Amino acid sequence: MTASLAPSQAPAGRRRSTRRRLGPVGTSVLGAVIGLAFLIPLWWTVVNSLRPGDETFRYLNPLEWRTFFTLTPTLDNYFALLDTDLGRAILNSLFISLVTVVVGLAICATAAYGLSAFKFRGQGLLFSVIILSFLIPFDAIAIPLADMFRDWNLQNTFFGLILPGLGNGMAIFLLRTFFLAIPEELVEAARLDGLGPWGVFRRIYLPLSVPALIGAGLMLFLFQWQAYVWPLLMGTDRDHVVGPVALSNLQGQFAVDYGVLFAASVILILIPLAIIIGFQRYFIQSVSTTGLK
Amino acid sequence: MTTPTTRAGADPRARRAVRPAPPARPTRRGRRHPALIALAFLAPALVALLVLRLAPAAVALWDSLFRTSLLGGTQFVALGNYLELFGNPDFQNALLVTVVFTILINPLQVATAFLLAVLYTRKAAGSKIWRSLVILPIAVPPAVSAVIWSVIYRPDGLANGFLELFGLPAQPFLTSPQQALASIMVLLSWIGVGYWMMFLIAGINDIPRSYYEAASLDGASWWRQLWTITFPLVRRPLAFVLVADTVSNLLVFAPVQILTKGGPEGSTNLLMYDIFTRAYTLGDLNTAQAEVVILVLITLVIVALQFRLLRTED
Repeated sequence: MTASLAPSQAPAGRRRSTRRRLGPVGTSVLGAVIGLAFLIPLWWTVVNSLRPGDETFRYLNPLEWRTFFTLTPTLDNYFALLDTDLGRAILNSLFISLVTVVVGLAICATAAYGLSAFKFRGQGLLFSVIILSFLIPFDAIAIPLADMFRDWNLQNTFFGLILPGLGNGMAIFLLRTFFLAIPEELVEAARLDGLGPWGVFRRIYLPLSVPALIGAGLMLFLFQWQAYVWPLLMGTDRDHVVGPVALSNLQGQFAVDYGVLFAASVILILIPLAIIIGFQRYFIQSVSTTGLK
Repeated sequence: MTTPTTRAGADPRARRAVRPAPPARPTRRGRRHPALIALAFLAPALVALLVLRLAPAAVALWDSLFRTSLLGGTQFVALGNYLELFGNPDFQNALLVTVVFTILINPLQVATAFLLAVLYTRKAAGSKIWRSLVILPIAVPPAVSAVIWSVIYRPDGLANGFLELFGLPAQPFLTSPQQALASIMVLLSWIGVGYWMMFLIAGINDIPRSYYEAASLDGASWWRQLWTITFPLVRRPLAFVLVADTVSNLLVFAPVQILTKGGPEGSTNLLMYDIFTRAYTLGDLNTAQAEVVILVLITLVIVALQFRLLRTED
């Protein structure tokens, strides 16, 4: 029986070993092909932003090397952007996102401190309010909230655009997880040295939690930067329109300068991309904390 | 080492780390009223979350029970709006499209993210670089992705250019009732798959190398290792990714509003967009609020299901 099996097993074993030897190369090639496929739309966007709008469709039929490269790159589209409402809209987005990060971090960090540094009755209840608030997706309740904001005359104000981004249950959750790991001996020692609750927060908790603060800040920033439903409902006039909404308005127009459209897209992508890459470590950390704990 | 005092024993944190019993507690005001101080720190966030998250949900629930007539009168109709919704063919269609979309896109995205995570955690030349190319598009806001793909999907756009390169006939993409929904799935997966992949890569990297070494010594094939080691050990992140992805895909709005307006022939009329048109194009705010309540309930049920699943696993 062993003898009869042996011949049929031998080739299978050899085949497997060949496959294993080819493995890393095959893996590498497959990984490269998929990676490049994901890059193509982005690459094409960047190349189109560097050439005149009337060349966008010139090299598509058939595809050739010039589809993805240009020998005469120009920044004209980016300069043209400065004179349009789109440039203003991108600045609006930037302003809204930055204010959200600064004020939102203050609100979320103090809340996380209140939840983690003290023991009191009703703590569990307050924590579940925060959990519940991030289980209800913001976009889903955007329409009733917009109705409320209209009654309060907050339409087309930066206040109305920024406000919903400030209290972020997910960011509070992330910071709380981090704060709970701060050793109690340290806090006790600081208290003996005469620090009050605010001093402990400022001198002990905040300096020790910089990675979590950056992670939470990224969350707040991306929430606002990627927002579409809310700004569409809340701020559509020329002075308050945000980048993504202005871009989609442009796309719907009859005569579109595709060069400018792609230049605006590149900037709307590049800003969050630069921030994510710059804080990569903290981003991944915040992703794994919110996902796995 | 001293034993913790009874008060510290009641403190859940004392159970985690044995610490020396604190000396006689200082009787400063702060120590006697921790609840008040904590509340002061919590107040801004609590107010924000109550007013900006929970109140609108409550308002939607309340408003959905009334009907405002053209004459200006508001009338209590109990579940009337809900009954009307479920009898409405447009809503039925939106529900059907959303169910089809949910059933297709989530398993596809999660499976792709999982397989790519496996691929990019294997030792191979340039793995880190190729992986980052897949992650890059997560920085693209959904609305911007929609605008870029609107150009790619044009009849004379990049997508048809590639089809021609491979000798395939040009496709209508967004203008075809059969292809529009799939086209939207592609542009969402472009920005989504890399994001979910990051969670799964983190999960796979947590698996001890020794498991694979032992399996290799036992002669387990690569495929067998994938299903008996990797898959069961990333179940937790996988479950999280599936639920979080499902919730985010229930809320898809920008691509529909920018690219198809729910068409052609209602084939991309997802729930979020249906709510939007019902509230603003049709001006039927009360029924739209009923739809908001339905959407929030669906989301909560999915999330509750996740907590259930993860809890029983432990």
